[in-house]
Amino acid sequence: MNAPLISIRNVTKRFGARVAVDALDLEVERGEIFGLLGHNGAGKSTTIGMLLGQIFPDRGELRIGGAEVFTQRARALGRVGAIFEAPAFFDYLSGERNLRILCEYTAPWDPARAAEVGRLVGLEDRLCDRVRTYSHGMRQRLALAQALLPNPELLILDEPTDGLDPEGIHEIRNLILRLNRDWGLTILFSSHQLSEVQQICTRLAVLRRGKLVFQGDWRETATGARRARIETDRQPEAHAALLAAGLVESFDREGRALLRPNVETHQIASWLIVRGYRLAAIALIEPTLEDFYLDLAQDISHRPLPIAN
Amino acid sequence: MFLIHLKNELWKLFARKRSFLGFGAFLAVEGLILLLMQLPKPTREVSRLLGKNGYAFEEYYSGLTLGLLMLLFTVFLIGGLFLALVSGDMVAKEAEEGTLRMALARPVTRLRLVLVKWIACVIYGIVLIVFIAATSLLAGVLYRRGLGNLFVFSPIEQIFSVFETREGLIRFVRAIALLAFSLQAISTLGFAFSCFNMKPAAATILTLTVFFVDFVLRTIPYFQGIERYFLTWHTACWIRTFHTLVPWWDIAESLAYLGAFNLSLFLVGAAAFCSRDLKS
Repeated sequence: MNAPLISIRNVTKRFGARVAVDALDLEVERGEIFGLLGHNGAGKSTTIGMLLGQIFPDRGELRIGGAEVFTQRARALGRVGAIFEAPAFFDYLSGERNLRILCEYTAPWDPARAAEVGRLVGLEDRLCDRVRTYSHGMRQRLALAQALLPNPELLILDEPTDGLDPEGIHEIRNLILRLNRDWGLTILFSSHQLSEVQQICTRLAVLRRGKLVFQGDWRETATGARRARIETDRQPEAHAALLAAGLVESFDREGRALLRPNVETHQIASWLIVRGYRLAAIALIEPTLEDFYLDLAQDISHRPLPIAN
Repeated sequence: MFLIHLKNELWKLFARKRSFLGFGAFLAVEGLILLLMQLPKPTREVSRLLGKNGYAFEEYYSGLTLGLLMLLFTVFLIGGLFLALVSGDMVAKEAEEGTLRMALARPVTRLRLVLVKWIACVIYGIVLIVFIAATSLLAGVLYRRGLGNLFVFSPIEQIFSVFETREGLIRFVRAIALLAFSLQAISTLGFAFSCFNMKPAAATILTLTVFFVDFVLRTIPYFQGIERYFLTWHTACWIRTFHTLVPWWDIAESLAYLGAFNLSLFLVGAAAFCSRDLKS
């Protein structure tokens, strides 16, 4: 079995009295797009900062490709490309000069490779312009280009679509999928935009106040919590009756029912019809990451969730 | 790779608009000083000073003398400020803007990064001093139509010297080399502050404060016996090359002091930078 590309073991980081990351264990396999989810301040950026050797952990060990990030920095980060929430560049220099300066920290400058990457991110015509003339979307693409230039094996993307318009988000998303599919890159994708993560990631980890509350394939776990849309002629009454009968665990704000384990929709339909309700519609709803995430948020206030793998 | 990193660092420094504006400002200040030196009062003062000691004004109010005066006043007025500004920005500005995080996502070590930045800062300081010296001398030579003899007068350092053209030029060049070295103390102090977790402006202000307080204390008569313990006594070693009999031992002592000061400060700054967290 292949060793994981990223391995984080029992990592804790405090900033003063605040625990930013608490005993975090995380593994990212080669070739996957791994999502790092969490609310603002959950510890995602701190985790990424530690993974890049920019923030020192108080305890624990971080490895990339088997190399320890702090003691074997050159080996660990040699084939890593990273972009941050608000990528910063030397605005008074051209895009190309910025790429060159950043690239040469890792490898010699290769103009052919730069042209190829420029084409890939759609900046080939603007690389000679000063970065101060770039739009936010172009800066994000330039950030992606600098991350791709040293031919990385791992891409670490911290909120790469933040502040982009829908078109820009769509472009970046497709690019990430292509990089994973065609170039075989492993991608660690951090975001608080659930729809993004849902469309891109195969596995994910959820952080909450620095603690890991879930790691694994959310779809497998989410199938345990099934939701259904139930429409009757007497909606509030039907909801109360279903809850009292123990067929439904709860109803969410949008009126969707969270079914009890082993209860099927046809059983609910029969139960309602027998009791004189006129059933307009009943259908299972595909689980979404948002539902899963919110369930998780609700669950962890009551009990710790098992870590799926 | 070290040289490539250094080249990139210098590119970043010199391509900044501030560099062009700064170098332009130095030219403007030199021009202003040259203009002020033509006013009747300073001309009369220099003439009186020279005449009292038996020297002809026309002979010693020369291109070399004007060049040295312009250099002296320009460096004193804005040279230190500019160096403190540039060095205070070196790390702190990049940390503030986020470009440092982009660099530190690469396999480059922090020590190399900070060493490259310091060397670039030192080179920038040297280029700046050479630029001011060359343009001051050029302006003086053009204005007086020739180098001429050199006249140096510094009441603080108790210097009153006159030199023939050749000797004057040698002394001038030697003084520039020492000045370029001496002023690295400002660059390194600003750089060291910049390595800590603080705003670029704070690093600049702290640097200037240290030098200002040191200079003021040194000139207070109470401290006259122990003036060698002050930093600015050593940074002024370059002007002592204009003593008729050069106090080489004193100058060597100052250079050793400044070398040790710079190295120690660099190590303190590097240690601070290598052990701190870099957050967005």
